[in-house]
Amino acid sequence: MKNNKNTDVRKKKTGMAPYMGRLYLIFAVFAFAVSIIGWKLSDLQVVNNERLQGEGDKRQVRYETVAAHRGIILDRNGRPLAVSTPMMAIWANPKEMLGKNLKPDEDVPVIDWHGLGRQLGIKPEDVRQKVHSYSSKGFIYLRRQMTPAKAAAVLDLDVPGVYSREESKRYYPAGEVTTHLVGFTNLDEKGQEGLELAYDEWLDGKEGERRIIKDRRNRLVKEAETISGAEPGKELMLSIDLRLQYLAYRELKQAVQQHGARSGSLVMVDVKTGEILALVNSPSFNPNNRKSIKPETLRNRAVTDIFEPGSVIKPFTIAAALESGRYTPGTVIETSPGVMRVGRNYVRDVRNYGRIDLTTVLTKSSNVGVSRIALDLGPGSLLEMFERIGLGATTGSGIPGEQTGGLPLMRERWSKIETATLAFGYGLSVTPLQLAQAYTVLAADGIYRPLTPLKRDVVPQGVRVMSSSVVDQVTEMTTRVVTQGTGRRAKIPSYSVAGKTGTVKKVGQQGYLDNRYVASFAGFAPVKDPRIVTVVILDDVGGKNYYGGVVAAPVFSKVTGGALRILGVKPDEVAQGSQRNIVAKNIVAKNNVTVPNGKG
Amino acid sequence: MVSLQNIFRRFSDFRPTWGQPLKNDAELDFWLLGATLAVLSLGLVMVASASTEIGSTPLYYAIRQAIYVAAGLIAMIVVMTIELQEWQRFSTVSLLVSIALLVIVLFMGREINGSVRWINLGFFNLQASEVAKLGMVVYIAAYLVRRRDEVRSQWWGFIKPMLVLGGAAALLLAEPDFGAVVVLLVAVLGMIFLAGVPLMQYLVLMVVCVVGVIGILLTQAYRIERLKTYLDPWADQFGSGYQLTQSLIAFGKGEWLGQGLGNSIQKLFYLPEAHTDFVLAVLAEELGLVGSLVLLVMLMFISLRALSIGHLAERAGQFFAAYVAYGISFLIGGQVVVNIGVNIGLLPTKGLTLPFVSYGGSSMVMNCLAIGLLLRIDYERRCLMKQKQRREASND
Repeated sequence: MKNNKNTDVRKKKTGMAPYMGRLYLIFAVFAFAVSIIGWKLSDLQVVNNERLQGEGDKRQVRYETVAAHRGIILDRNGRPLAVSTPMMAIWANPKEMLGKNLKPDEDVPVIDWHGLGRQLGIKPEDVRQKVHSYSSKGFIYLRRQMTPAKAAAVLDLDVPGVYSREESKRYYPAGEVTTHLVGFTNLDEKGQEGLELAYDEWLDGKEGERRIIKDRRNRLVKEAETISGAEPGKELMLSIDLRLQYLAYRELKQAVQQHGARSGSLVMVDVKTGEILALVNSPSFNPNNRKSIKPETLRNRAVTDIFEPGSVIKPFTIAAALESGRYTPGTVIETSPGVMRVGRNYVRDVRNYGRIDLTTVLTKSSNVGVSRIALDLGPGSLLEMFERIGLGATTGSGIPGEQTGGLPLMRERWSKIETATLAFGYGLSVTPLQLAQAYTVLAADGIYRPLTPLKRDVVPQGVRVMSSSVVDQVTEMTTRVVTQGTGRRAKIPSYSVAGKTGTVKKVGQQGYLDNRYVASFAGFAPVKDPRIVTVVILDDVGGKNYYGGVVAAPVFSKVTGGALRILGVKPDEVAQGSQRNIVAKNIVAKNNVTVPNGKG
Repeated sequence: MVSLQNIFRRFSDFRPTWGQPLKNDAELDFWLLGATLAVLSLGLVMVASASTEIGSTPLYYAIRQAIYVAAGLIAMIVVMTIELQEWQRFSTVSLLVSIALLVIVLFMGREINGSVRWINLGFFNLQASEVAKLGMVVYIAAYLVRRRDEVRSQWWGFIKPMLVLGGAAALLLAEPDFGAVVVLLVAVLGMIFLAGVPLMQYLVLMVVCVVGVIGILLTQAYRIERLKTYLDPWADQFGSGYQLTQSLIAFGKGEWLGQGLGNSIQKLFYLPEAHTDFVLAVLAEELGLVGSLVLLVMLMFISLRALSIGHLAERAGQFFAAYVAYGISFLIGGQVVVNIGVNIGLLPTKGLTLPFVSYGGSSMVMNCLAIGLLLRIDYERRCLMKQKQRREASND
């Protein structure tokens, strides 16, 4: 460098020394290029990279939902009633499968329709047609609710544009036994019926979201991060006891079949807490296989169907009478000649009971007797009593579809026949659950507690709606119904039972039908310290045996008796229990042949 | 002609120097060799990383690139055994071979992506322009030495080689390979500049070339399209701007230290030509600004080292060697600048590889061969200097 002072071309045309000035210029150009590139690189990579990263994310990053399991539904002892099992849905991107979003230089993928159809369990031609008919869509389900193993077999085919998605399937271990109460969900695990619907929000899991990175062919590169974790749904513990539920369902179903009833319902309530221990209907259906469900089996009749209660309401008519102070259990009432003219109508007993006391009015279920009482008391005190025990209003159980039933409105003018029929349970409508509510008041010493299908941690205080002395007297009288009246078949070995039968003519289009009946029995046990209320309703009983005492009472006996033993309730009739039972059976057998006695 | 025997003999002559360079009186430029080997290694790794998904097997391109690197190193060693004067003697042959290849490719070439650039040799696709670029440099260097006075004093002196260059450029444009034209033009203009063409004449020549290049740009519709894309790639980001925007995204994702080797997302079918023309984008995404700057510095070091080798040779009076070194410096430097410029959106898109890094056999072998030439040039100069020193020592 030192020896080179000749940068001018013209001065040194043949000189040996290089052109240093030009070399420096070249060097400067190099340096310029490098610094421009370096600046631009820094700008792109570090300084102003947000936009580029954003553009990249638009193309690479996808957000995927993370399935959250729906909460499990349990019975009071923790036995599962509804559980979610992981399943896979296979979905397709028709655009990708048919090569609609490719650049011109990319090849249309070859699809193995045959293999795909075979693994999916669908006719290959059907799969192909479905994909083609949705060719402009980016997402269609090919098959849902596949087991993970079967879905894996589909994915193993590596068909372009075919993907899987986690989902879950609701399974009901107790099937038809609990389905009316528990309900069911749809494919997307949203509650559709029953408590699945009522507590959908509680049971529903919150889906999570995660960020994933996909390559241009839509394949997963990596799971980047979880945006929000999946929150599984909360579990729901019901008040029902699956053992009692099974027992109740079995007995009810058998009775429905045996007596040719169109349907039946049974509600069992824990007297101490107001919890529903069992709630079944027959016919039922299997929620795990819904292909062959008949619409008429779907209804939860115990809460959705209303009927005229008939004689099962009489204990409350009697209670109103006792409450008035004008009657005692010993008050004698004239029922001769077994028929009474009320206005232009007649109220009839099965036969002429003559002069009988109040207790006998109930045990014999004398319509004439209660009609006289009602006409004496007036409709107001009856309606007021019915309202207090929860009729004409929902029980507040929260079971979807629950009907309120109906009491006639209190008004100035009542015809006598309306007042009279109210006394023996016509002219008002109730659901089986409401009836259970009413009997629970009686069993719980006159305390009203709302019923619930959920397990209770805290038992509500309740409201007293009947005095203890009235309750004691009515209980004593209804015990007699079972020991010597129409409800003898409701007896339970070792336990005392109180209850009332009911047999109601069904209402048709032209008034009451002659040979269609609703048979019922409502009662509780053990009498001294009531634990269980059970209401049994058999709708549209055909055949010769249609009386509540013949058709419904035995169901009550078997179910309540079984329940008391399962729950370990102390028997209150230890010594004579079994013996008396045999005697009772004999009496019932005789009666059965000779006199199918007393309406209700 | 250089017979095989001659090459072998020269190789055995050379061996002692190669074996014990430090003990001998002459030595190799280990800075250049080291930088080249470093860039080759990094390039091989990046090609392997960028091509894992696109080949039939993950290592499909990596294995081939490794073979090309090996071939390049062999070419480098062979070239180092050949005396430089042989190249000067056969400079006309190298011009004829270059022109012949450029003509052959037009008739027998293989078309890839709309350009006819490759001659199928059965086992290997030869890219004619890669050979022609170096061939032209050797020819021009020899011409500048032969007609040095003429070049420095008369218009005609440098118009003649420019006509030859124009012919080669026309053939390249017929392929079309505009990028090669630009790089060749840069190299030859640079050589002529350093050879001492009068400034006025040189400026006129520059103007002519720039006007010519702009004229070519505007005559062809697809080049205008590319130009538009270059001005705003985001305007048509799923059409003509697709490649550039994907490349820019890769740079943006890189940040300081990158996503980590092998972690590029853009190489997963988002960025086309990720292992060839746009390998730098993948490197930038995986190794970050640090990685891309290191590679830029190493490549520019190689180019500047070639310039300095040329400068020293010129001072030592070895003009042919000096001009060849200058030409190689500009070929490599120009191609690096254009390729990176395209990658980062500073220049319109054209199909140019990144020397020593991008996948491709012709480019790899010819660039290694050029490094071999540089090493030979430097070796010969050092020998000359030692001789001089010894002579001066003995004279004293």
